[in-house]
Amino acid sequence: MENKHQVPVTVLTGFLGAGKTTLLNRILTEQHGQKYAVIVNEFGEQGIDNDLVVDADEEVFEMNNGCICCTVRGDLIRILSGLMKRADKLDAIIVETTGLADPAPVAQTFFVDQDVANKTKLDAIVTVADAVHLSSQIEDHHEAEEQIAFGDVILLNKIDLVKDENIDLVTKRIRKINPFAKIIKTTKCGAPLKEILNLDAFSLKRILEVEPDFLESDHDHEHDDDVTSLSFVSDKPLDMEKFQNWFGKLLQTKGQDIMRTKGILDFKGENDRYVFQGVHMLMDASPMGKWPDDKERSSRLVFIGRNLETMNLKEGFEACKSE
Amino acid sequence: MTTDLNQFPQLDKTKFEQRGIQLEIGVPVTCAVSIGNYIAAGFGDGTIRIFSSGEKHKTLKAHKGVILCMAKDGDNILTGGDDGYFLKISLNGEINEVTNFGSRWVDHVAAHNGNLVCSSGKVVYYWDKNKKEPKSLNHDSTIGGLAFDAKGRRLAVSRYGGVTVWKKDYSNKWKSTKLDWKGSHNKVSFSPDGKYLVTSMQENVLRCWRLKDKLDFAMSGYGSKVKSFAFIDDTSYLATSGAIDAICWPFDGEGPMGRKPICLPYIGNKQVTFIEPFPNEKAIFAGLSDGSVFLSQIENENNTIIIRSFTGSEVSAIAMTDDKSSIFIGDISGNTLWTSIWDQ
Repeated sequence: MENKHQVPVTVLTGFLGAGKTTLLNRILTEQHGQKYAVIVNEFGEQGIDNDLVVDADEEVFEMNNGCICCTVRGDLIRILSGLMKRADKLDAIIVETTGLADPAPVAQTFFVDQDVANKTKLDAIVTVADAVHLSSQIEDHHEAEEQIAFGDVILLNKIDLVKDENIDLVTKRIRKINPFAKIIKTTKCGAPLKEILNLDAFSLKRILEVEPDFLESDHDHEHDDDVTSLSFVSDKPLDMEKFQNWFGKLLQTKGQDIMRTKGILDFKGENDRYVFQGVHMLMDASPMGKWPDDKERSSRLVFIGRNLETMNLKEGFEACKSE
Repeated sequence: MTTDLNQFPQLDKTKFEQRGIQLEIGVPVTCAVSIGNYIAAGFGDGTIRIFSSGEKHKTLKAHKGVILCMAKDGDNILTGGDDGYFLKISLNGEINEVTNFGSRWVDHVAAHNGNLVCSSGKVVYYWDKNKKEPKSLNHDSTIGGLAFDAKGRRLAVSRYGGVTVWKKDYSNKWKSTKLDWKGSHNKVSFSPDGKYLVTSMQENVLRCWRLKDKLDFAMSGYGSKVKSFAFIDDTSYLATSGAIDAICWPFDGEGPMGRKPICLPYIGNKQVTFIEPFPNEKAIFAGLSDGSVFLSQIENENNTIIIRSFTGSEVSAIAMTDDKSSIFIGDISGNTLWTSIWDQ
């Protein structure tokens, strides 16, 4: 239905002690004239007392759809459906995940559950990172790296405790894992809420509006970070059938390692731009209107994930170019 | 989901709407149960409205938040809310707190013969009518639904990975049996004859167990999640939502295996969202995603009448009084209809 109202849902992730609770308290106590519900995990760092705080137990389960990495948050389906029955309408919902949680099941819930997708929409994944400890956390815990990889916005917090040159180092580290997230440097998570909430980062339209810096695939292999990103650009139109075959098979077989994908595609013989984005194996794709006259047509594609160098992505993409 | 009504042709009101009472409460109707010749309906703002024929309805402020679930306990109404309260409410408006879980929601309630049960998160609490303190029944995952069998001897608890069936043994100890099937199970119900147990799942499918030999099978083919289902005329049929037709599986004889369901079509190709049996008849009320409600005879699809025309909002509750004289209908935007069924 066209004019349905969907409440935006922000996923708030970040390693233990990074400052998620500080941010949540700000969201709940600042005078912003908005009504926000906050879904917190039951093992939260400290209690937040508010009528609009809901305890969740982070119950992750596999969907019976033959897709092994397709896990969703069952408790979230239940809680969001309950919140939608409220008399007062919410302006936004924030879902906090535990410091050690993988953000993928939360995001996937919005792709998989029809009721959730009808009434709410995934707005953005916001990752709070501790500028002091992020580097060592990335070394020691794959979860910290995943949270950076999934983020649309990364709040690099506690910068007051770090020397400027070290802030540059940690920023570079983040960029290597995720070159497309917006990094906001803060102390005590003091970023304006409008830079955190209601970003519409998961809408396909938004991908066109804020075209990320799709870099030519100039990938250096020096660092040993587990999670990396790769991007590809082609000025030559793609063959739709070849692309679908390649990309479909790729997600099916490597979807567990591919965490996020985004792309704007130019197919031979098609007037429309095709835009897509995915989380693991799940994808949202649609034609998004004609190419603007003032813009060269080109295809851009980005991957964030593990073991990307083993997937022959460049060769696969090259082979999709039309004859 | 609200819809622009102007896109629909403007139909006349049905005779039921003309002679009934229509309210626009503006708050989602979340549940309704019949208690004798009264209907209690729960709303998203924590209020309860009690309807009876010949009287103006009564409004009670019961919960601070959404009323998530409701059941009948004799002449009382049981409710659970997102304010953490489990309440017992009499028809004349007396509200008693059974318990209060603070910030944890009361997701499901049920009762049989004065014994009360509710679930909050992964735990089911059972109050024996002769005892003050509840017995906790723990589960590994969040509870999707609760149901007693017709005799109140068994309590089915649906959850992730299947159903746990609890039963008291001769020494009054709780024993559980597990019925396993991978996936998340929501609403659960015993068939009235006690032979089957059915759950609706997170996927667009129902799971059924034949209890004598634990043989299990799926009922599938749905376009969306099956959120509402009910056994009809004892255990003749299982009528279900989740498709543009009301899907009625035959449960007489050897059950539905290898047999086709009866599909009752409705005008407009809208999803069926709510099913309520017409007591002791092979007939159902079907509520649709556009707010319309039909009464159909299962074995004669031509015998379908429209009870309520569309409102643009999904039907979320239907309940009929025990004397089968009146019906209550509510939708997710708070449009309600309370009307007599029979022409004078």
